[in-house]
Amino acid sequence: MLNKKKRIVVNIILIIACLIIAFPILFAFIKATQTPGQVMSPRILPSGYLFENIKFVWTRYNLWGYMLNSFKISLSIMLGKTFLSFFAAFALVFLDFKAKKPVFIFILITLMMPTEMLIVGLFDIISLPSPTSFKDFFSWFIHPSNIFLSPVKFGFGWTDNLLSVIVPFFASATGVFLFRQHFRNIPTSLIDASIIDGAGSFRFIYYVLLPLSRNTIGALFVVQFIYAWNQYLWPRIIIRNSSAQVIQVGLKAIIGNAEGVEWGQVMAGTIISMIPPLIMLFLFQDQFMKGIAVSDDK
Amino acid sequence: MKRISIMLIIMSFAAVLFASGQNEKVQNNEKNIEPVEIQFWHAFTDDARSGWINDLAIEWNSTHPNFKIVAESKGSYRETLQAAILGSRQGVAPHLVQVFEVGSQLALDSGIFTPIGDVGNVDLSDYIEPVLNYYTFNNSVYSIPFNSSSPILYTNKNMMIKAGLDPNSPPETFEEILNACETAKAAGIPEAGLGFNIHGWFFEQWLAEQGEPIVNNGNGRNGRATETMLTSKASITTLNFIKELNDNGFYKSTGKLEDWGGSDAIFQEGKVMFHITSTADLGNISNAIDSRFDMGTGRLPIPGTSKRNGVVIGGASVWLTSGHPKTEQEAARDFILFMTNTKNMNSWHKLTGYYPVRKSSVEELEKEGWFKAAPTRTIAFTQLLETVSNQATAGGVMGTFGDTRTIVEQAIQKVLNGADVKDSLTEAKKLADLKLEEYNKNFK
Amino acid sequence: MEHRSRFKARGLEVVFLLPTMLILILFLYYPAWQSIILSLFRSNLFLGTRKFIGFENFRNLFSGALAPAYYQSLLQTLIFSVMVIVPGLLISLVLANLSISLGKRGKIYQILLIWPYALSPAVAGTIFSFLFNPEVGAVNTLLGAFSNLQPRWLDNPILAFLLVVTACIWKNLGYNYVFYLAALQNVPRNVYEAADIDGAGVVRSFFKITVPLVGPVTYFLIFTNLSYSFFEAFALIDLLTLGGPMGFLPFDNTGVTTLLIYKIFQDGFGGSSNMGFASAQSVLLMGIIGLITWFQFKFADKNVHYGGE
Repeated sequence: MLNKKKRIVVNIILIIACLIIAFPILFAFIKATQTPGQVMSPRILPSGYLFENIKFVWTRYNLWGYMLNSFKISLSIMLGKTFLSFFAAFALVFLDFKAKKPVFIFILITLMMPTEMLIVGLFDIISLPSPTSFKDFFSWFIHPSNIFLSPVKFGFGWTDNLLSVIVPFFASATGVFLFRQHFRNIPTSLIDASIIDGAGSFRFIYYVLLPLSRNTIGALFVVQFIYAWNQYLWPRIIIRNSSAQVIQVGLKAIIGNAEGVEWGQVMAGTIISMIPPLIMLFLFQDQFMKGIAVSDDK
Repeated sequence: MKRISIMLIIMSFAAVLFASGQNEKVQNNEKNIEPVEIQFWHAFTDDARSGWINDLAIEWNSTHPNFKIVAESKGSYRETLQAAILGSRQGVAPHLVQVFEVGSQLALDSGIFTPIGDVGNVDLSDYIEPVLNYYTFNNSVYSIPFNSSSPILYTNKNMMIKAGLDPNSPPETFEEILNACETAKAAGIPEAGLGFNIHGWFFEQWLAEQGEPIVNNGNGRNGRATETMLTSKASITTLNFIKELNDNGFYKSTGKLEDWGGSDAIFQEGKVMFHITSTADLGNISNAIDSRFDMGTGRLPIPGTSKRNGVVIGGASVWLTSGHPKTEQEAARDFILFMTNTKNMNSWHKLTGYYPVRKSSVEELEKEGWFKAAPTRTIAFTQLLETVSNQATAGGVMGTFGDTRTIVEQAIQKVLNGADVKDSLTEAKKLADLKLEEYNKNFK
Repeated sequence: MEHRSRFKARGLEVVFLLPTMLILILFLYYPAWQSIILSLFRSNLFLGTRKFIGFENFRNLFSGALAPAYYQSLLQTLIFSVMVIVPGLLISLVLANLSISLGKRGKIYQILLIWPYALSPAVAGTIFSFLFNPEVGAVNTLLGAFSNLQPRWLDNPILAFLLVVTACIWKNLGYNYVFYLAALQNVPRNVYEAADIDGAGVVRSFFKITVPLVGPVTYFLIFTNLSYSFFEAFALIDLLTLGGPMGFLPFDNTGVTTLLIYKIFQDGFGGSSNMGFASAQSVLLMGIIGLITWFQFKFADKNVHYGGE
């Protein structure tokens, strides 16, 4: 343990660090409580205008709509991704099949393909209208040169549809890795016992694997929820209708490109937008810390 | 386990919210026949102007039970046009789109619009001619003029008095601006200076004032433009002025490109003596200033060496998309004619400072004595009436106008950072011409 | 060591892996391939035109009037990444180390330092654009109350660049801190106590013990931070600087905060769009990322010993 003198120094450093790091948020919160006149002044004491500011952005600037969209998207991605990666990792660790290595490498490579890099290619695939008849699609699909050597003709037609910001994110290498790593650390004796008991894959998953995976699932929930909640570039491009827009891009809309930014209201919106990911983080904090600790050695 | 149950509660809460939203729709369906929605996308994000449109939409809807005008802001002009074009390509086109003058060529080239003048018999004779001419292509009137404005000088009269300047004769030329700032600085006023946001629009207006086009081929009106005029004498004069302002510490802005609100705020907060922005902000700015200081207006300052040729009569207009049933197109057209009728254009002008685009509105305002009652507004009309009608003031047309604006803005930024005016403009021209060439190749 | 599989697959592997594989193919691999195809076309998003032009888009990236802006953007992105990653990792490692050295009493600091993990780039951008607005922003208002200093945060190229870097480090602090904390929690405290008895100084034991111990995490974090500064900084730029301002020579061909991803966005989705030109940039970016990954795996495998494996 540290001696007393050292401990005081460490405490002081940490307190200062915490204050500096929290300063922008504290500042945003204080400004969110002020009237438009006070916001522009050097005043740094809270005031009683928070509710009015929130009320304004909540209804007038569609903050409520943005929040709801982000909520639907983040929950869907969080659940979908966790579910799919759980089973994919299960197959990779516990099932016996030939193409395991190529499949694993196939998933591994996507680690270096973030969606942001693919926006141009993905845009057409998501936004172009889907074929009106099966015949149209088939006569296009039947020629490999159409698919592989020329830009796509058909897409999913998901513009202004929340699916466009959900479905592409259902699969992820991160999730698969996190589970794979965790599964590989499960003692073989447990699996042996299950097999001796004559348990099949599903019984094993339900009775052994799921209870053992709570931390990993919790960690993934946090990581994926926050990842999905904080998405910006892709929704900015693919969603044009503010009724389907997410909160992060909504913040830009609230600031507005034209006249008269009411910074007090903007700050109120900003503070509100941070609440759901913070709740997620602190709700699952323990699992999160334990879950990523396992994963950190790759 | 506790956490999981909290999660479940949150999720069911979300599910209920979602379901309740859908219930509302269902109930509406049962009550009466849903009116057909007519989407109107515009670029006004402020309350005053988008609220004005919404109020008129409600008024119109109440007398047209079969239709429902839904007005929605899409952010900036650029984003509004882009959203409309992409939307229509993806089958979710709005009916009406507010397009700024700069987007005209792109709007035409995109092929998603239909000339509004050709939808049934429309009498457009009451619209101010030079404005309407702007939107006439191949002898068809493509859009209904809606909000037209030009830049003017705003002054902080209190500050001018303190500086020993005559608040009632605002500076008219670049030289006078610089002199006034010097005088104010000498009088110990740290706010001496001129603020305007870094925007290509002002540059374009200054070219027009000096009677020079921004692109070749008759400002793009005799044929597709192939070259920009960014190294013309007028261009250099304009940037030299900005450089001189800046070198003397008289230029004020937030430093962000196209930051209208930021620039207005500087003026409203009393942090600069002179300000240039659109006449359209007269309403908003004087409201924001309230009674903190006395605001004055003047014509857009121009180089003293040049004769006053006039401003670009542009602004934005409302375009009609093709691909909707005829009845919907007609309803959309009717709404726009209603929105721009004499009475509404008067209230629009009074609210914002945009020109009323109808002759009858101007007459009525004169009869009312409005211009005497609101002297700050008169200047906009003086500027409009003085404008010489020629290709420079008709405004340029090119497919890459948006990019050219950005390139000009970046050139201004470079000059503000100390770069040479001629070098920056030469670079800018090279880039803008290349972009234009690339764009035009789409049609070969 | 490969885990010995115990269950008979019986086709289950297909059911379990297919959804993941399908989504990866449709929404990652195929778009990547499409980017390559599209880079050979001139394609205006708003006109809906597509014309095959061979390698012209690539030629335009490396020669002619459009090239200098690309080179500048490339260089800026690399400088930006280094400036974000090195101080960012160092600060968070120091903080993690300090807060863990207090033992149980340090818990409160952990909570106070973890929350930035939930910060989004857009939130960081929004708050910073208010704080540092040169005319009406809080920082200059406060400075103005007791001095004449009014830094031009957004139009001075150096300040603007540093501002985006700072916002980026701030936003990423929570993420790095969390991973370092998790790693350090597994380190037995007696390692430090031994060092203490040896009389090793604080700084020395930090570099001699802590830094090597968290080696694997550092490698992981460098990779994720790289991806962060290459891509997620987009929101910060979109809200703070819009890619500007223009810099001093030789950084005067585009805005100093126009990072590669922002340039792709501008060239593909803005103004006179050429999706092909943007695609060509994406393709090169894929190459860069691929190269970095390859280096990292190669380098990491040799120099880092993974505990237990």
